[in-house]
Formats: sequence, C-alpha cells, structure tokens
Amino acid sequence: MADVITEGSVVSQTPIEDKEKRTIHIKVYSPFKTYFNEDAYSISAVNSTGPFDILPKHHNFMTLLSPCELVINRDSGQIKIRIARGVMHVKANNVVVFLDV
Amino acid sequence: MRRPADIAYDRRSMGTLVELTSVFEGLASMRIAQIKNQVKEAQAFFDELWTIYTQLRVDSMFRFGRRENTAEILNKDLIVIITAEGGFSGDIDQKLITLMLESYDKEKQDIIVIGHHGAVQLAQRGISFKKYFKLPERDLNINSGPIIAQVQHYKSTTVYYQTYVSLMIQDVKRISLANAVQQKGRQVKAGKEETISEDTYIFEPSTFAVVDHLERSMLQIAVSQVILESKLAQYASRFRAMSSAHTRADELYGDLTLAYNRSSRSIKDERLKEIINGLRKVRVGA
Repeated sequence: MADVITEGSVVSQTPIEDKEKRTIHIKVYSPFKTYFNEDAYSISAVNSTGPFDILPKHHNFMTLLSPCELVINRDSGQIKIRIARGVMHVKANNVVVFLDV
Repeated sequence: MRRPADIAYDRRSMGTLVELTSVFEGLASMRIAQIKNQVKEAQAFFDELWTIYTQLRVDSMFRFGRRENTAEILNKDLIVIITAEGGFSGDIDQKLITLMLESYDKEKQDIIVIGHHGAVQLAQRGISFKKYFKLPERDLNINSGPIIAQVQHYKSTTVYYQTYVSLMIQDVKRISLANAVQQKGRQVKAGKEETISEDTYIFEPSTFAVVDHLERSMLQIAVSQVILESKLAQYASRFRAMSSAHTRADELYGDLTLAYNRSSRSIKDERLKEIINGLRKVRVGA
C-alpha cells in the first residue's frame, strides 16, 4: 500500500517547448489503483544498490525497488509516494512503476 | 380461524424479513459491481507485466519464481481450495468440495483451504488439510504472498474455485496455477515484438532476480484474481439466495395480509350478525 504526499510548488515555470524535451512520462500504479500518471522532470527511488534518480533520456533500465519514498518532481510541485516494494521499468522516456508486486 | 392480532404480529415479522432480504440483495449486487471493476483493473496491470515478462524471459518454462531458490521441492501436488468465509452463500462450497474429492489422493496431494466455511466442510467430512487461510475481507490489495510461499514448495498446484457466469448462474472450476498464469498471458494482445536483454538494458540487482520477481508477482496477481472471482461468485450466489428468500418472504407477507383481512372481516361479520339478532329479539319482545 502506498501513501501519497503532495508538497507546495518547488519548480519554476518552464517554456512549453523546453518542457517537452525535459520531461519523462511517469506512471505509478498497483493492481487496483493508479497513484500517478503524468509528465514530470524526474523520479527518485531506492534499490538494493542505494538511492538513484531517473532523468529524461535515461538508458533502458529495470530494477526491483526497496521500501522507500518515491519522489517525483513535476511542474506543479513535488509528490512523494511511500512504497513497500515494486518494480521499475524505464524505456524511451517512459517510467512505469509497478507497486505491490 | 386465527385472531387478527396474532396474524398482524406475524405479518410485521415477515415485513421485517422482506426488508432485510431486500437490503442483503442490494448489498450483494453493489459488491458484485465493485469487484467486476477491480478484476478489470487488475487485468490491465497483469497485461503490462506479462508483456515485459515475455520480452524478458530466458526460456519457455514458467518456474514459479524459484529459479534461485535452493529449497527442496516436494514431489507432491498442492490443492488450493477457495471457499466462502461464512455459510451464507448458498450451496456453492459443497459443490466445490465434491468436485475436489473426485480426484483427491491423500498420499499424493496436500490441501490448503482458503475460507472458514470450506475448512468446516472438510473437517465435517473427516479430510485433513495442511493450512487454512482466512478469505480476505477487503477486495483491494489482497496479499497472496503467504499462499505463493507454499506453492513454491510443491512441484505443481491446482486451484479449485468458484466462477461467476452470470448473476443467476455460478459454477465451480479447477485450474493448474502455471496454466492460469499462461492462460491469462495468452489473452494479452501481442504488440510489437521486442527483446529485453542485458545488451539493451541495465538490470538491478540481476536479470534472473528480476525474472524471478516478475514470475512471483504474476502468480500473486493470478491467485488474487482467482480469489476475487470466487468472491464475485459467492456474492452472486448470496444475491441468488437472498433474491429467492425475498420473493418467498414477499409471497408469505401477501398471504398473511389476506389472512389478516379475512379474519378481521369474519370478526366484523360475526359482530354484525350478533347486533342484527339482538335487534330482532328486541322487536319480537316489543
């Protein structure tokens, strides 16, 4: 089960044409609930090797997530999702986090 | 003939029963709609995981996520039987246990039962089971991890469960767990064929750990889905039982109303006769 915490705006406004190049699509969901499904600037998480960040144009990547707080930086602020376990799949500027698996 | 006051008392009780069965019927119908939605959402999640798994898998065998597990595997089959928690869901559990007993071999098979009603039914028939799990009360976030941990100790697993055909028809089924996962996978529409390999991807901690994890996850989802489907069938069975109880209670309420009216009428007629007879006597006396 994941908890979502939304914080105030922390990211400055960016022109639309730049934004498209600088964002990735992030989807965080479990079999019964979607927690996040939007474009964002980055996502941070923790796996068995330690904390890491995913930014646009990241290499194809697949990892098992450790219990941690996913931190997503987006236009309207930062979102934190507390997770127990999950799988992250990164491919072609698309990040999918499967939770509760 | 019974007194109207007695009939009125029975009619009030029957009225309560009519309302109660109607409420239970409504509740069951509401839960059916919710679970149907959840099954749909879980299927979409499974589809996406399956797509990644098929692009990633290193051979055609489904290994129950135990590739890196060194524990000894029992040369026995595991039977998982999913029943209702309470005895309020019609006769569907008895049907399920009868189906399981047709092919049950005490020496070659161990039983895990989910749901209190099934455990009671098995105990009544003198059949021992290895473990009992409570049927999850909630329909979301079903934790099937402890069941998967048991499944991984056996060479194969067969699940007996209840299926929802329609609101008025429920059936019982058996399925091999590995087949259940692969069958669900076959329902996924094939997309563009791509391979996920160490040449094109970074894996952490390792490819095998990820494959193992995905297999376990898909088993968990498959088990959760089977549990959800059983719950759906149980709610439908409850709906059916409540629906016929409601119809019967409604008929009895109608009969009692008729009896009450007849009884009241008959008392009024009796009194009228007494009054007329009294008047006649008064006239004759005059």
